[in-house]
Amino acid sequence: MASIKTYTTIFGVLMAFSTVQFVFEFSGLLEDNYGPIMAVILVLSVLKAMAVAGWYMHIIEEPRSITYIALAGVLGVIALTVGATYSIS
Amino acid sequence: MTESADSHHLPPKSTVKRWLVTTDHKDIGVLYILTSIFTLVLAGTLALLIRAQMWTSGGLILNGLGYNQVVSAHGLLMVFWFLSPFAFGLANYFVPLQIGADDLAFPRLNALSYWVYLFSIVLFGVSFFQGATFSGGWTMYAPLNVPTVDASSVTQIGGFAAILALTMFVTSVTLGSVNFLTTIYRQRAKGLRMRDIPLFSISILLTVWMMLFAFAALLAALVILSAEHLIGTVYFASDSGGSVLWTHLWWFFGHPEVYIVFFPALGLLGEIVQTFSGRRLVGRKWFVIALALVAIQSFIVWMHHMFLTTINLPIKTVFMVTTIGISLPFDLMVFALIYTMVKGRIRWKTPFLFALGALVIFIIGGITGVFLGAILLDYSFRGTYWVTAHFHYAMASAAVAIIGGIYYWFPKITGKMYNEFLGKAHFVAAFVGFNMLYFPMFVVWETPRRVFVYDTGLTLWHRVATLGAAIFAASFLLMFYNLVKSMYSDRDVTDSPWAYTGSMEWAVSSPPPEENFPGTPSYASGSLEFLDRSATDGGAVADGDAATDGGAVADATTAAAQPADHASWWPFLIGFSTLLTGIGLSGISGPYFVWPFLFTLPVFIAYLGIKGAQHDGFALIHGAYLTASFPLLALLLVLFDADHGFMTGLGEASNYFYITIVGTVLGAMTLIGMGYESFNVPEPKLAEQWPFGEVESTKLGMWTFIGSDIILFGALIGSYVFARFNFGWHEWWEAAEVHKATWPGLANTYILLASSFTIVLALVYAKRQDKRKTLGFLSLTFVGASVFMLNKSIEWIELFWHEGWTFNTDLMASTYYLTTGMHAAHVLVGMLIMLFLIARTYTGAYMGEEESQTIEYFGLYWHFVDIVWLFLFPVFYIL
Ligand code: HEM
Ligand SMILES: [Cu+2]
Repeated sequence: MASIKTYTTIFGVLMAFSTVQFVFEFSGLLEDNYGPIMAVILVLSVLKAMAVAGWYMHIIEEPRSITYIALAGVLGVIALTVGATYSIS
Repeated sequence: MTESADSHHLPPKSTVKRWLVTTDHKDIGVLYILTSIFTLVLAGTLALLIRAQMWTSGGLILNGLGYNQVVSAHGLLMVFWFLSPFAFGLANYFVPLQIGADDLAFPRLNALSYWVYLFSIVLFGVSFFQGATFSGGWTMYAPLNVPTVDASSVTQIGGFAAILALTMFVTSVTLGSVNFLTTIYRQRAKGLRMRDIPLFSISILLTVWMMLFAFAALLAALVILSAEHLIGTVYFASDSGGSVLWTHLWWFFGHPEVYIVFFPALGLLGEIVQTFSGRRLVGRKWFVIALALVAIQSFIVWMHHMFLTTINLPIKTVFMVTTIGISLPFDLMVFALIYTMVKGRIRWKTPFLFALGALVIFIIGGITGVFLGAILLDYSFRGTYWVTAHFHYAMASAAVAIIGGIYYWFPKITGKMYNEFLGKAHFVAAFVGFNMLYFPMFVVWETPRRVFVYDTGLTLWHRVATLGAAIFAASFLLMFYNLVKSMYSDRDVTDSPWAYTGSMEWAVSSPPPEENFPGTPSYASGSLEFLDRSATDGGAVADGDAATDGGAVADATTAAAQPADHASWWPFLIGFSTLLTGIGLSGISGPYFVWPFLFTLPVFIAYLGIKGAQHDGFALIHGAYLTASFPLLALLLVLFDADHGFMTGLGEASNYFYITIVGTVLGAMTLIGMGYESFNVPEPKLAEQWPFGEVESTKLGMWTFIGSDIILFGALIGSYVFARFNFGWHEWWEAAEVHKATWPGLANTYILLASSFTIVLALVYAKRQDKRKTLGFLSLTFVGASVFMLNKSIEWIELFWHEGWTFNTDLMASTYYLTTGMHAAHVLVGMLIMLFLIARTYTGAYMGEEESQTIEYFGLYWHFVDIVWLFLFPVFYIL
C-alpha cells in the first residue's frame, strides 16, 4: 500500500484531469478542433484509468500477470471495436 | 451463528438432499454429466423431428413455425446446454484430480454455476409452453430477435424466455470460468509446473480463458437484446447497421465459442491417444503452444461468418487470411496425434476407437471449413447444407471425443469396468450412423439451410440422412444400457485399469475418496508422492517457499482444526430464484419491469439487518437497517402509486409481475444468506502457484471477473462507437433531440472519483485496525454513491420526462440510457454490498492486515466501476 499522501495526490490529479476534459468542451475548443482535442480528451481518460488501476487497485504492487489479465480484456475490446467500426467504413 | 457445524457435512449419496446441497466437485461433475446427457436426449429428439420433416420436400409432420422452433431450439440446446456442460462435467470431476487440488477454489460458486445452469434448462423448457419458443435460428440474427418486428407474434414471450435462459447460462459459464482459472493457477500440487499439467487440464484452462472473454461479449449482446424486449431500445431494429451490429457481437463471441466446445475434446484426444498408444504425445510442447495460439487467434477471425453482409472487401480479405492462419496450428495438432499413434503400440479399446473416430470426423470438418473461409466459395456455400454439414462434422467430433472420455473415465468414476463388446458396438453404430447422417449433406449441399423444401431430385440422399440419424440416435441406447448395467456389475477395477497412464487421477482409488488424495500430493521430489497432511502444513512453513508468512502459519493451524465444508443450501436456492426471475421477466410488461427490483431493495436492507443480528449479535446498525427499510418501502409505494395508480397498478399487473417479485426477493434473501454463511475452504498450504503466487485466490477470482467485465462494458461502448460511426460521428448529437448533459456528467465524475478515494482510505484504516475511521470512510463512500445515483436520476428524469427523450426515441437515446444504465446498475450493486460491509465493520469485522482483504476486494470492484465511468464521461457527455 502506498501512503495516504500518494493517494491524495492522485486524487488531486484525477480531479484536475477531469476538469480539463470538461473545459475543453465548455470553452468551445473541442468544437473548433475536434479531432486533436478528442484525442487529448481520450488520452486523459486513459491516464486517469491507469492511475486508478495502478495505485488505487495497486496493480503496480501485484505480479505482472494481473496486469496482463486486464490488458487481455482491453485488447479484446479494441479488436472488437476497431474491427467492427472499420468493417463498415 | 445459527447453523450447527455439522450441517456442512455431506449426507450419504443415496439421499436426495445430498445432491441438492453438495459442493463437492466430484458430485457436481456427475450432476453436470447427467444433466447434459438429459439435454442431449432432448435436443436429439428435436433433431429426429428435423430429419423426419426432411423425409420429403415440403415436410412431413411440422408446420412452418413448428419447424423453425425445432431447428432453433435444437441448435441452441446442443451448442450451449449440451456440449460445453458435458465437457465441464468431466472437467469438474477431473481437473482437481489431475492437478492435485482438494476441490475447486470456490466450491459454493461451483455449485451455484451448476444450479443456474440447471434452472436455465428449465426456463428454456418453460419457453416451449408460452405459446412458442424462440424461432429465429440459433444465431438469433437481428431483426428476427427483436420484438418490434412482429410484436403480435406468438413467439413474443417464449422467445424472450429462451433469450433469458441463455443469459442465465452465460452467467453460469462466467462464474465457472473464474472458478477454474483460480483453481488451476492457485492449487496445483507442489512441483507441478504449468506446462506439465495433463493435457485435458491444459485444454480446460485455455477453454475457460476463451470463455471468460467470449461469453462476456455475448452477455453484452444479450443485455442489449433484453433491453430491446423490456424497455424498447432500438439497437438491433435500427436500420442504420442494427443487424450488422448483432452479427459482430454474436460472432466475436461465436467463433471463440466453436473452439470453446472443441478444446476440451482436443485435450481428451491427447489423453486418450497417449494412454492407448502407450507413449507420451509426440511434440507435446508444440501441441500445447499450438493450442494457446489458436485460443488467441480465435478472437480475430470472427468476420468469416459475415462474408455475405455489407462489410467491406478489405476487411473480408483480412479475415480470410486470419482464418487460413488459424487452421495451421490445427494441422500441427492433428499431425501430433496421428504421429503418436503411428509410433505407439495401439490398444484398440472403446475410448481409443472414439478418439480415432473423432479425429477422422474432425479432419473432414476442418477441411470443409477451409473451403468456407475462402470468400468466393462462401458466396455460394453460405446458407446451404454445406455449412450445416461442416459444422456438424466439427462440433459432433467434439461430442464423439467426449463420449470417448466418458468411457475412458467411467471406471474411475464408478469403480466398475464397462462392457468392452457393447462399447465397441456402440462405436461402430455411432460412426456409421453419423456419417450416413452428415456425409450426404455435402452431396446435397445445394439444399438451403433451415428450410424444409428442396429439389426433389435430392430426396434419396435426404432419406439416407434420416436413416443415418435413426441409427446414430439408437446407438446411444447401447451406451446407456452398457453403462447402467456395468455400474451394478461386479467388474471392479483397480486404481488404474489402463496399462499406460501418467496423470494423477489414476494414482487414487476408483472411485476416488471424498478428500481426493490419501495425503497432500506433491511432485517436488520428481515423482508423485502423497505427503502426510499434518506434516505438510508444517512443512510449507519450514521451507518457506510457498507464499507463507506469519499470518499463514496461524491459518494452517486453524485450518487443520477446522475441516473443509462441503454442503450448502444457498447455491440451489439462489439458482431457483433466478429461474423465477427469468420466468417473470419473460412476460412482464415494460412499464412494470423495474418495480420488482425496486421493491426488493427494502427487503434486502431489512433482511441484512435480521441476518446480521443473527450472525454477529444484535447491534444498533441492524436496528437502523430494519427501521430504514420501512420508509424506503413507503417511498417506493408512493412512487408506484404515482406511476401506475396503486390499486389499478396492482390489479392490472400480470402474474409475471408477481413471479418476478417472488424471484427477486428470494434472490436477495438467499444471496444474503450465502454472504453470512460460515463456510470453510482452506487455502492450499503446499501448492505450485506460478504466476500468481502472491495473489490470494479471492483476489485472483476478482481480477478474472474484472477481466470479463472489461469486455462486457467494452462491448457496450464498442456498440456505441459502431452505431455512432455508422450514423455519422459528427451528426450524432445534432440529430438527437436533446443536448449532452455535460454538467451533471462532470459532477458525477467528481463524486465517483471521490468515492474511489474514500474507499482506499477505508482500506488504509482497516489495516491499521482503526474501526471508527474505517466505518467513517465506508459510509462516506456509500453516501458518495448515493449522491451519484441521485444526480443520475435527476439527469435521467430531466431528459426522459421533461424532454420526452425516451429509450426508443432514437439510437442516441438507446445507447445513452442503456450504457449509463448498466453502469448505474453496477453502482447500485456496489452500494448493496457496501451496506453488508458497513454492518460487518460495525460489529468488528475486517480489522487488520489479513481481515481487511474483503474491503480490498470490494475496492477492486468499486475502482473498476469508477474506471468505466472515466470512459463513459467523455464518450457520452463530452464528445
Ligand atoms: C480450421 C477449421 C475451421 C475453419 C477454417 C472454419 C471456417 C468456417 C467458416 C468460414 C464458416 C462460415 C460459413 C458460412 O456461414 O457461410 C464456418 C461455419 C461454422 N463453423 Fe467452422 N471452421 C473451422 C472449424 C470449426 C470448428 C472446430 C467448429 C466447431 C467445433 C466449427 C463450427 C462452425 C459452426 C457452428 C458454423 C456455423 C455457424 C452458423 O450457424 O452460421 N468450425 N466455419
Ligand atoms: Cu468461425
